[in-house]
Amino acid sequence: MTDRREAWLFLVPGLALLVLGFVLPILRMLVLSVLGPDGLTLQQFARFFQDGYYPSILWRTVRMSLVITAITAAIGFPLAYITSRVGPRLRLWLIVMVILPLMTSVVVRTFGWMVLLGRSGPLATTLRDMGLVGRSFSLMHTEAAIVLGMVQVLLPFMVLSMLGVLSRLDPRLEEAARTMGCSFLQTIRRVVLPLAMPGVVAGSLLVFTLSASSFITPSLLGGARIEVLAGSIYKSVTQTLDWNFAAAQSVILFLGLALVLIPYLRLGARHG
Amino acid sequence: MVKAVPTWLRWLAWIFVILAALLLLAPLVVVVGVSVSESQFIAFPPNGFSLKWYGNALGSREYVEAFWLSLRLAALVTLSATLIGGAAAIALSRRRGGQALETFFLSPLVIPSIIFAIGMLMLWSSLFGVTSFLALWIAHTVVALPYVLRTTLAVLAESDPFLEEAARTMGASWPRRLWHVVLPQCRPGLAAGAFFAFNISFDEAVLSLFLRNPGLNTLPVQIYGQLEFSPDPTVAAVSTMMIVLTVTLIVLLDRLLGLNRVAST
Amino acid sequence: MQITTRSLFGSVAISLFAMPALADEITINSFGGAYEEAHRACVIDPFEAATGAKVNIVTAYSADAFAQLRAQKDAPQFDVIHFSGGQEIVGASEGLLLPITPEMVPNLADVYDFAKEGVAKGEGPAYQIAAVGLVYAADKMPEAPTKWADLLNPEYSDRLVLTDISNGYGMIGLLMLNQISGGTMDDIQPGLDAVSKLLEQGAIVVSKSPEIQQEFAQNDAWLAAYASDYAYTLQKAGLDVKFVQGEEGTPASFITASLVAGRDNVELASKFIDMELSPEAQACFSEALRYTPTNSKTVLADDVAASVVYGPDATAGLMRFDPIKIEANRSAWVEAWGKTIAR
Repeated sequence: MTDRREAWLFLVPGLALLVLGFVLPILRMLVLSVLGPDGLTLQQFARFFQDGYYPSILWRTVRMSLVITAITAAIGFPLAYITSRVGPRLRLWLIVMVILPLMTSVVVRTFGWMVLLGRSGPLATTLRDMGLVGRSFSLMHTEAAIVLGMVQVLLPFMVLSMLGVLSRLDPRLEEAARTMGCSFLQTIRRVVLPLAMPGVVAGSLLVFTLSASSFITPSLLGGARIEVLAGSIYKSVTQTLDWNFAAAQSVILFLGLALVLIPYLRLGARHG
Repeated sequence: MVKAVPTWLRWLAWIFVILAALLLLAPLVVVVGVSVSESQFIAFPPNGFSLKWYGNALGSREYVEAFWLSLRLAALVTLSATLIGGAAAIALSRRRGGQALETFFLSPLVIPSIIFAIGMLMLWSSLFGVTSFLALWIAHTVVALPYVLRTTLAVLAESDPFLEEAARTMGASWPRRLWHVVLPQCRPGLAAGAFFAFNISFDEAVLSLFLRNPGLNTLPVQIYGQLEFSPDPTVAAVSTMMIVLTVTLIVLLDRLLGLNRVAST
Repeated sequence: MQITTRSLFGSVAISLFAMPALADEITINSFGGAYEEAHRACVIDPFEAATGAKVNIVTAYSADAFAQLRAQKDAPQFDVIHFSGGQEIVGASEGLLLPITPEMVPNLADVYDFAKEGVAKGEGPAYQIAAVGLVYAADKMPEAPTKWADLLNPEYSDRLVLTDISNGYGMIGLLMLNQISGGTMDDIQPGLDAVSKLLEQGAIVVSKSPEIQQEFAQNDAWLAAYASDYAYTLQKAGLDVKFVQGEEGTPASFITASLVAGRDNVELASKFIDMELSPEAQACFSEALRYTPTNSKTVLADDVAASVVYGPDATAGLMRFDPIKIEANRSAWVEAWGKTIAR
């Protein structure tokens, strides 16, 4: 069998599933974004941009997703590197540590943060005892709380994506670099990081899109006063029952993310 | 750790690991603490010590049934997503201009799940009527697919394409090349992807919330329902049991199969 | 390989896929937790015993249940659907619900008129009412609140919990604040201004009931505008909270039961609603969760009667913000509210 036919054979199940199981249902919903009482309309999109409120929600969503991705990558890379280079026993426990948050329901995990960050949680109490903050100080219902909660939830995705690549790196490459006079940090920067790039890109992509489209953690930790777009979409679907507007917001979120992601995918392709 | 790493860096690495552990595990400690609290409402630090919430969860038909349903679903989703996604990744990795297709495969990550859930429910009802296990299986496979694809592609990008080329020159047929060369190359990616797929399905709440029917209640939906109306430490007990189960499973897998060998080859 | 998996697991899936619906079973939604327990004990179990039919329960809050109902328009799975946030009005206007007649549901005759106003249009009757008033920490408040205006007292502001209007009780709370601040159903700006001032003074906004519990239990909250049934839930959880009706009036939140259009089991489903409206079921519900009954023939034990709004005179004193106006304005109000509270 030729390579071409083989490649198609392998693609068909995935394509079929995606078209029938995803594109059709999504279109069924997204088409509502341009439907009005009298035919086609762009009214829902006009409503989104009529004043600064919804654009500011979109901007917050993108901005926070970028921050979350950057922090996750900054913590995830050293963690993945250490994990890939320690002895088997310690590696096992590090992997367990990283994936445990994934195994607890998102709602419950977020509840843990609510307790830790609340007015009477350990953080606020300590700061208050030190006289640094007032009685009502709480990290809950702030953007910082969302970032913290999301980083914890998404770190496993980053670390595991990188680990796959890092554990396949030939350690002799690093040794060679060291013998040729590179310091440890130079070796990381010049040898390990470039080679690990596909893992970094893959992980960042997952983390970025997941943080932009999730709403449970942001809505519980950020509270009603800090809205993200996915939360606003959820509200339009279940509370105001305005499905046309929900669809329009989804289209805008999709396009907004695509704007950020396409250059990034190019970057990944270059490194791949 | 690699030899000849400066001592101060080793110390830094340890401090870093401890801080990371704090970030990752602190909320879970709260959950475990709440689960043994005596009082009826969720409180931390726990007041008193009691295991009654564990009895509550294990004795509840709803929780036990939901657990088995979630487990069955997640296992099937892992299988289907790994097979379909792995195959697609292998195909994409050797195509020129696979970029557009790859982006297309990742699109389920970008659309908020509520939109997918409502669209799926509308389409399914108009075509087949009441939703079923199959609907959930398809929906979960769709959202799990991108993870398998990404992790496998990342590993394949790092692998040596000449290996397969060499096998071809030496006359190996494509099923043999696939089995002996390509599959071993993608194994770490497939393993990570399969793991994600399992978790995505097991923890997925939104699709399951909208696609369910009375006989189709997954564990996250059960937990969500409990928290919505009358939260009590039963939810924390369920989560703690999940934590213990995960650790046991991983350690057991390691003992039996040598997880480390699998992960590092 | 894919084909093998299909044949292996396909049979399992297909057997579930093709599961036939039995004629003598109905599907309903309930709200989970303690509510569902009471629902089971007061209505579902007696119903199953009396008719021999099986009741399937989907645990779903009103908003989620409505989204499901609307998306499944072509093949609804619910026979009876329960709403607590006025969704029956939208459902009826979109033709998703089936009008109920006194012939189908005999107990309807004894239900207070205000609880069955929209029945001819398809809006199901209210089988319970939650009274909205002031919930406060009895052990901490320096002075017990008596009126809605106490919410505006700046001394309480940083101990005050407001509820997002995505929550039905939150919507009622806002409309009440609006009313005492001089607003009307056509102009909620005074209410929004009051909210924005309270927020500046340190009040916080939550979205879900459990967060209110969290605020009272862990974060030292004193005061919230919320419903009597939830105050009772907090008490049962061991918190020292009390519920008081505001002097300016007690707005009510209705929990309704509607028939879903396009289902075969109308007769059985009507019987189910009839049972929910029966004095026995209503007394049982009040006993368990402190809801106000809507059947005028309901008799409550003295201790229960003392802690709910009960009887024709007291219930006549309940007020209801025009639900049709709420539905017509909901989208605009939610947006205005979002802009008001956004940081």
